[in-house]
Amino acid sequence: MRSRFTAFVHGDLDYIESTHAEEVRDDFNRSAAESTVKSVEWVGLEIRDTSEGGEDDDTGTVEFAARFKKDGELLVHHEKSNFRRQEGRWVYVDGKMNPKGKPRRVDKVGRNEPCPCGSGKKYKKCCGA
Amino acid sequence: MLRSLRARPETMERRFSCTACGKCCHGLLPLTIDDALAHADKFPLIVIWTPVRQGGRSFRITADLGITIQLKKRKLAAVQIAPTAYIPPTFSCPELTADGLCSIHAVRPQRCRTMPFSAYRDEKDQDDLMIPRSGWVCDTAHQAPVVYRDRSIIDRQDFEVERAQLVRDAAILKPYAEWLLDSVPSLGMELQKVAMKPAGGQLLVAFSTLIPRLPKVDIFAFAEKQFPVMTAFAERTAGEAGLVDFHQRYVDSAAEWEKVARGRS
Repeated sequence: MRSRFTAFVHGDLDYIESTHAEEVRDDFNRSAAESTVKSVEWVGLEIRDTSEGGEDDDTGTVEFAARFKKDGELLVHHEKSNFRRQEGRWVYVDGKMNPKGKPRRVDKVGRNEPCPCGSGKKYKKCCGA
Repeated sequence: MLRSLRARPETMERRFSCTACGKCCHGLLPLTIDDALAHADKFPLIVIWTPVRQGGRSFRITADLGITIQLKKRKLAAVQIAPTAYIPPTFSCPELTADGLCSIHAVRPQRCRTMPFSAYRDEKDQDDLMIPRSGWVCDTAHQAPVVYRDRSIIDRQDFEVERAQLVRDAAILKPYAEWLLDSVPSLGMELQKVAMKPAGGQLLVAFSTLIPRLPKVDIFAFAEKQFPVMTAFAERTAGEAGLVDFHQRYVDSAAEWEKVARGRS
């Protein structure tokens, strides 16, 4: 995945195309990708999350944020990509742009229960006061 | 009692014959993807997104050919995604000649061929389309042939060709629309806003957003066709008081396509 980012930075569309899974290769508009690559200046890549993708896995996902400048504006491409091992090599299958994070769980603390700060007092006498 | 009130005349017929008045060759022209690409050197192209709210007559067919979005209060809106020749309503088609005829008649878009019918609507929902709009001089008198009877189109060929193309386009336009909504979250919010308006409305989206979804289209060659078209329309609309929005979009699009065209190595 990092190698694909590097290829984007260098405008190496041959590498991008060769690391597409075979079933999506026909959907790739190379000229449009080339036009995009030429119109942006890449700033940096941040890997936010990964799952699977280890030595024993045949699939894997990477969530990343790639920062770039276009027309002087700093923008970010946030995507969760699916990869698959094809003949021993990781290839790009598809991606979801701006994936939604897991909903944040909110635990309620009853007023008379021990305070979650660990003071031993009731919540209402401590942080909840 | 109720039955007699609801009973309709036994047959409902519409007569229609085109007089080549050229009045319907004005303004926005929705196009199939193939027609848009084939005429990219003639028409200023954009993609128009039009929400249709649940309960509207065209909701089902629009949802089938486009996408649906969730609105507040568990309501849905269907969204028509139409590649369109973006021509001001007061302008004639650039291919309409001074003598009022079509200069590309043999290769004219399917939308023009299917007139007065529309494959964007159900076959049963075509009745009003044969009533000439103000200023149009379609022949609908008794000597004109019957073209629509009991909510069925008599000569169905062009309607069916257009519908088949729209179904084929839907396989591209649906994933395109979902992908663009994911990529540009503000688009979803604007679509919601337009869909909630009682009067309805449309969103105009740059055609460049669709090109990455059309693998066979060379964006550089496409840009070289669209740049002069957008420039010509920008010049024709300059200083026209009622066409400020059209003019601005032509100017912006021309700048965008010029930049893409210059990027070719």
